[in-house]
Amino acid sequence: MTRQAFASVTESDLEERFEAAEYVADDRTVTTVQLALTLGRPLLVEGPPGSGKTELGKVLASAFETELIRLQCYEGLTAENALYEWNYTKQLLAVQADEGTVAGDAAVAPNDSANRGSVFGEEFLLERPLLRALTAGGDTPPVLLVDEIDRADEEFEAFLLELLSDFQVSIPEYGTVSAEQPPVVVLTSNRTRGLSDALKRRCLYLHVEPPSFQNEFEIVRRKVPELDVAVAAEVCAVVDRLREEAFLKQPGVAETLDWARAVAQLRRGEEARPLSTDEIERTLGCLLKEAEDLDRIDTELLENLQAAASAADERIEA
Amino acid sequence: MGMPGPEDPTADGGEPRTEPLDGADEVPDFRAARRHVLIELLRFTAQLRSEGVDVPTSGSLDAARSLAVMGLNDRRRVEDALRATLLSATADETVFESAFDTFWHRLRSGLSAVGADHDGPTAGDADEDSPDGPDTATPADDPGVLEDASPPELDGSDGGDVDVRIPTERRHVTGDRPAETGDDDARRFSAVGSRQRIDAETAQLGRTEIDAINRFVDALSTVPGRRRRRSETGDRIAARRALRSSLATGGAPIELPDTGPVPSELRCCLLVDVSGSVLDTIDRSVLLAFAERLHAGARRASVFLFDTDLVEATPQFERANGDPAAALREAEVEWGGGTQIGTAFETLRRQHPHALDRRTVVVVVSDGLDVGDPDTLADGITWLAGRAGTLVWLNPLAVSPEFEPRSRGMSTVEPYLDALFGFAEPADLAEAARQIEQRGLGRRVGYEFDARLSGGRAGGTE
Repeated sequence: MTRQAFASVTESDLEERFEAAEYVADDRTVTTVQLALTLGRPLLVEGPPGSGKTELGKVLASAFETELIRLQCYEGLTAENALYEWNYTKQLLAVQADEGTVAGDAAVAPNDSANRGSVFGEEFLLERPLLRALTAGGDTPPVLLVDEIDRADEEFEAFLLELLSDFQVSIPEYGTVSAEQPPVVVLTSNRTRGLSDALKRRCLYLHVEPPSFQNEFEIVRRKVPELDVAVAAEVCAVVDRLREEAFLKQPGVAETLDWARAVAQLRRGEEARPLSTDEIERTLGCLLKEAEDLDRIDTELLENLQAAASAADERIEA
Repeated sequence: MGMPGPEDPTADGGEPRTEPLDGADEVPDFRAARRHVLIELLRFTAQLRSEGVDVPTSGSLDAARSLAVMGLNDRRRVEDALRATLLSATADETVFESAFDTFWHRLRSGLSAVGADHDGPTAGDADEDSPDGPDTATPADDPGVLEDASPPELDGSDGGDVDVRIPTERRHVTGDRPAETGDDDARRFSAVGSRQRIDAETAQLGRTEIDAINRFVDALSTVPGRRRRRSETGDRIAARRALRSSLATGGAPIELPDTGPVPSELRCCLLVDVSGSVLDTIDRSVLLAFAERLHAGARRASVFLFDTDLVEATPQFERANGDPAAALREAEVEWGGGTQIGTAFETLRRQHPHALDRRTVVVVVSDGLDVGDPDTLADGITWLAGRAGTLVWLNPLAVSPEFEPRSRGMSTVEPYLDALFGFAEPADLAEAARQIEQRGLGRRVGYEFDARLSGGRAGGTE
């Protein structure tokens, strides 16, 4: 599948691919992803932790059977870690062996004869994720996942701008590298700080929210097949009820899946039976990760949770 | 590129139509229809802008392109497409949702009107040869729409006023008494002095003022940044330079130049006294703008507001988007009570001990007129000075040539300070930065070395 094929992807096609990759997406996600692919724009995904932002990038790569190139951002991330670095050892050896010089000129094409013998050639270049995303061969362009962009500092964000708008980067000694097939770019952010307008302007924006009960049930059913379907519904109903409380850290989908797996593990080999308050209380650590939140759980809330669980059956659509 | 006028997209608007459309059959292929869609789109964008949504400049172009992909029939798809292209923050969704209804209604009804108009003459050549402006084919529709579309598309200066619930009072160093806002129901009584809601607007700082604050931030920087420079005692070898210098010795790397990080970043804890006495002497909007710039300029800055107790305002400043006053109002933070500096430091110590470490620069903005227990204040400042890397106090009263740190509060804290500067406007910070750059902290810097004061300072500026 080439970039042109991406450009003509339809909504139903996308839905099928998500379906095949076991990714449950709501309509808004599908539409926005379709736009990002057809318009060839980077997609900025924001949302609370555990809402499946990173998963979206991974699923895109697997759904289109292409390479996933992931760049995890952190404070102090530099161009050397993200883009390219020269292989200094190799350069030094080449100079010592009298095979190369440091004469390099970006104005001349990299493979021009004037640059032959320079240690600033392609064979001395170590590709880091961003450069690899631009130079990756193959029929299908790779998916570049820039994870948690809000953790990198603003300088790095600025550095990404050239890449995101023109899909090219400039290396002083080497020249400009531009992508033959622009990668599909997904950026994720937890909103720990605001992103610059310049960055936002270049991206399509998608805000991921916690899924509806029905969608979450679908997710749990697919991802935790070992759990009985009725119990899976109860699990989702409990989480849905928990989200109504004003917790410091609301449980995300990731927590629901953890909990579903935990329940399945504890009940291994047993017969299916409804969730009990005792069972909920003992395993709440999978869902709530703040001491203050756990303190707020009392008998009354537990009973409410159990009531929500027993009403789960009716909520599943036939 | 500026916001395109209403005529522009109709002139170059061939783009949405000429792209290979997946919903091509759904988009009515008339000039008038296209014109109508684009005008409605622009009007919608303008409305979002006027209600404070930060729509990117190229947002309407992207939106038009995305509509070309999505078609105009399915409301949900149109809504999602516009959401993806026009919004860039979750907070804007409510505005978007309420405005979208009107947009959708106008769009659809306009389109069916255009469709009806053209049903007859399509067989002929009516709509193809009407090159510009006075489009005879749609006499009723277009001119009115155009007139309507232009006014709201400016920067929302009119919309901004609507949001303000309490009138702004600007107060300066002259010490005007606060005017009664008459907003009694919003007030709440505290131990000393009564508080009120945040009632300032964020000042729009000029270039020089922003530069002054940035210079102050740079002068205080202690944390190594990401930039590196040549250094004798650096911790990393400058590989590129080593490679080049090895050429002189036939490729044997004998000389290994080092690089070290440049201390270019500020980790800062800003404690702002928002008691009535401070608010009376310093322009509130400048105070907020200063805190906002400092927060934005520092790599990591926590902001605390205190009068009789201490509130962390860092999240509000993080979300402020250039308007901390609105963010603070929204969070229902109040200000203007009495001052108990010692208690505030104590709260900081108990509840936010990790707000500072030995590299943190603590900046306190306060007049030091403390009404609390002096021993608590002494304990608090001892802990603060021991814990923080640097302790800088900005006193709004110290801009006066007669200022002496004689008040009970100031005389208690003064021995612990690395520097005490006057601060009533950003220009004072430029002076503070100049002193720190020249002489370094802890030496002869402070309000008493302000060159402007000895040079006879008349109007408060140079």
